Amino acid sequence: MIHVENLWKRFGRFEALRGMSFEVPEGSAFAMIGANGAGKTTTIKVLMNILEPSRGSATLLGVDSRRIAVRELAQIGYVSENQDMPARLTVEEYTAYLRRFYPTWDRELETSIARQLRLPRDRKIGNLSHGMRLKMALLCALPYRPKVLILDEPFSGLDPLVRDEFMEGLLGQAGEMTILISSHELGEIDGVATHIAFVDEGKVLFQESMGDLTRRFREVHVTLDGEASRPSQTPKEWMAMQMTGNVLTFVDTQFDERALGERIRSRMRDVRDIDSQPMALRSIFTTLARAARDGSAQEKAGAQ
Amino acid sequence: MIWHIFKKDWKLLWLFVTAIASLHWIAAFVAFKLGLFGEDATLEMISFYVPQIAMYGSAFLIAAIVHLEAIPGTRQDWLTRPIPRGSLLLEKFLFVLIMVEGPMFLATLLRGLVDGFSWRLCLLTTTSYILFLVFFLVLPVFAFASVTKNMTEAFIFWCGSTFIVGAFLVLAGSMNGAAHGTLLGATHTGVGWIAEVFRFALVAIAACVVVLLQYFRRKTALARFWLVVFGVLVMLSAFVPWRPVFAIEERLSTKPGAGAGTTLAFDQSRGRFKSPSGLLTSAESDRPRYGRNATDIFLPLQIAGVRNDAILLVDQAEVYLIDQKQRELYHGLGEEFEVAREGPIPSEEPVYQQIAFPMPIYHAAKDQAVGVRVDYSLTLFGLGRSYSIAALEGDERMPGWGWCKTKMDDAGANVELRCMEPGKGPICGTAFLENGSSGARNPSRSFCLSEYRPFQDKPWPDNFAHLRVNLPFRDPSGLAKFPVDGPQLPQSRVVIRVYEPEDHFTRTLVTPQMKLKDWEAQ
Repeated sequence: MIHVENLWKRFGRFEALRGMSFEVPEGSAFAMIGANGAGKTTTIKVLMNILEPSRGSATLLGVDSRRIAVRELAQIGYVSENQDMPARLTVEEYTAYLRRFYPTWDRELETSIARQLRLPRDRKIGNLSHGMRLKMALLCALPYRPKVLILDEPFSGLDPLVRDEFMEGLLGQAGEMTILISSHELGEIDGVATHIAFVDEGKVLFQESMGDLTRRFREVHVTLDGEASRPSQTPKEWMAMQMTGNVLTFVDTQFDERALGERIRSRMRDVRDIDSQPMALRSIFTTLARAARDGSAQEKAGAQ
Repeated sequence: MIWHIFKKDWKLLWLFVTAIASLHWIAAFVAFKLGLFGEDATLEMISFYVPQIAMYGSAFLIAAIVHLEAIPGTRQDWLTRPIPRGSLLLEKFLFVLIMVEGPMFLATLLRGLVDGFSWRLCLLTTTSYILFLVFFLVLPVFAFASVTKNMTEAFIFWCGSTFIVGAFLVLAGSMNGAAHGTLLGATHTGVGWIAEVFRFALVAIAACVVVLLQYFRRKTALARFWLVVFGVLVMLSAFVPWRPVFAIEERLSTKPGAGAGTTLAFDQSRGRFKSPSGLLTSAESDRPRYGRNATDIFLPLQIAGVRNDAILLVDQAEVYLIDQKQRELYHGLGEEFEVAREGPIPSEEPVYQQIAFPMPIYHAAKDQAVGVRVDYSLTLFGLGRSYSIAALEGDERMPGWGWCKTKMDDAGANVELRCMEPGKGPICGTAFLENGSSGARNPSRSFCLSEYRPFQDKPWPDNFAHLRVNLPFRDPSGLAKFPVDGPQLPQSRVVIRVYEPEDHFTRTLVTPQMKLKDWEAQ
C-alpha cells in the first residue's frame, strides 16, 4: 500500500531523510515513531507529493509519490497538526466545499463523525482551538472512506479528553483502511498500531509488527550468588546492561524463553535466578533510541 | 468545479472585492462630477489619489486571490485535496477578471456612457483599457503572487523588487545622461509603445511560464528564477534602440510616401537665432541638460516640401559633431520642433535646430572647424477634420474628437477649451479663435504630440484623454493686441483642426565645416 525505498531529502545542506525505507502492509495501522526532527513529517510530505524527494522513491496506492494527483488524493485522508485550512470559513462551509471534490463523500457519515467529535459546525475554522482543528481535519479526512489515512502527529498538544474523542472518531471509522501515523509519543499509538517503525536521523532503525516486537523484547533480571559483573562476552542482542548488587539487568531483543537460561548460564557462573518481564512499548523505544545514539556516537568516535 | 471554487473564493473575499470595486466606482463618480473644467479642489485631489489607491488595492486583491490557495509552502490543506490544478488556475484567473477587472470595466464603461459617448466607442475603448490592464497589472501580479506564500512575503519581495527597479532606473538614467540621452533609445518616446508591446509579450510569456510551473509542477525556486530572468529582460528592454523601432513605425505609416518631398537643409542665409525674449545670450546658455551645464547653438534650417494644412513634427534629432579628421566629438539629441503650414497662405517662420552641447565639449570645439550631422526621424501630419464651437459657453460633441466645452477664464484673458474622449484621443491639432463675421482670427495654438501608440497605456487616473488649451484674446499687460478680442467673443468660435499622422520617415542634415560659436543665439 505504501512503499518507501532509500528515500533522501535535502534542504540546502541539511539532510532530513537519509535513506529512509519501510513498507506499510495493506490494512495495517503503521506507526512511525521518532523524536522531533527524525524525518517523520518530511517522509509524509514526500508521500503526499507536497515535497519532492532528492533521491529514492516512495509509492502510495501503487503510484510514485511524484505523480500523486487528483485520482489518488481522492482516496487518501490526511490529518496533520499543522494543516492550514481557510480560517474565515465555518466548519460547515468548508466541509460543504470539500464534498464536491470527493465522489465517495458520505454525508451521513460526515454528520455522524461531526456529532461524535462534537464539532461546532457554525464556528469559523480560525476560531477553533488546536484540538478542535485537529478534529476538524479528521472530519474532513474520513467521510469519503479513504483507502489510506495518513496522520502526522495527530495527538500533538491534545488534552486526554480530546485525544480520546479523536481516537474514538478514528477507530470508529477505521474499517479496512490502511493507516500511517507518525508520532513522537509512544503512549499515543499504543493500542492503535499494528506495525511500528523507529525513525532516527532520517532513516528507519527497524520496523516490525507490534506482536513480534512485544514478543521478542524482554527485560531480563539475573540474580547471582555473588557480586554481579559484566560478562566478558555478551551477545549484541543484549542491550542496556546494568549491575546492581548481585542482580544483572539487561534487555533481550531476541527473546526465546527456552534458550534464554542456557545462553545466560553459558556466559555466567553461579546463576541463582532468571526472571524475564514483557516490556512496555515506551521502554522498548527508549532502549533502542539509546542504543542507536550510543552506536552512532561510537561510529563517530571510531571514524575519528 | 471552477464555479464551485469561485463561490468559495467569493465567500472569503467579498468584502475586499467590494471595497476595491467601491474605490473604482468612487473614482469614476468623482471624475464624472469634476466634469471638463474640474474646478472643485477637493474633488480634484480625490480624483488624483483615489484611482492610484484603487489600482494598488487591485494589485493586493489579485495577490490575495492567488494566496487563498498559495503554491509555495507545505502546510496548505488544499495541497492534499483532489482539486484539479487546471481548474484551480482557470478559476483564479476568471475570478481576477470578473472581480478585479469587472468593476473597473463597469466603472469606465458607465462613466463613458453617462458622459454621453456612444456605446460602441465606450465598449471598444474600455475593452482596450481592460486588456492593457491584463498585461500591465493582472499577469505580472498574478505570476508574482504565485511564487509567494502570503501577503507578507509578497510585500517584502515587492519592496525588494521596487528597490532593484528603482536602482536600475537611477543607474539607467545616469548612464543615459552620460550618453547625452541616446542610451534609452525609444523609451518614453512616441514610438516607445513598440518596445512596450515587446515588454507585454515578455510579461505574458513570463506569466505563463511561472504560473504553469507553479500550478502544475510546484517548482517555486525555478519559477522565481524565471521571474528574475524575465524581469531583467523587461528592464533591459528600456535600452531598445531608436532606429529599428522607428523603422517599424515607418512601416506602419498610413500614407507612406506622403513626406517624400520633404527636405531639410542648412541655410546660413537666415542668420543667427534671435532670442524672442530679447534677453542676453548668456541667459539662454549655461542651462543644465542631463544634469550638466550646456550651451545652446541654433542651426538655421530651410525646410521645404511641407504642403499646406500639414504639420511636420520632429520625433527625434540625433546629433553628431564631427571634426575635420572625421572624429566624432559628440553624439547626443537635439531639441524636437514642429513646422506647421496652416491655412491657404501659411506664414513661413524661420526654423532653427536647437542643440544643447555640454559645456566642456562646446568650449573644446567652439573655435575649431567642425561639421554637424543631424539624423532626423520625422512625422508628417495631414489635416483630418475641422470643428468649431462657440467661444463662450460652448458645449459640443464632435465625432472623432470628443466632448468639448469652452468658457472665459477668471482673469478674462483666455478662452478655456476643455475636451475629453474615451481612449487615447487625438494626438495632434491646432485651435484658434475666429470671428465668423469679420473673418479675423487669432494665432493658433498647437498641441501636437510625438505619440503614436494605438492604445491607451496609462493605468490611471482613467481611460479618458483630456485636452486643455487656453486661447488668449487679451494681454493683461496691454502689450499685445489680438485680432479677436473680448468684445468679439460672443460672435466668435473656437476652431479646432485635427491632424492625423500620415507618414513617418527619416532625413539627414549635414552642415558644412563651421565654428559653433558662430551659431550661438544673438
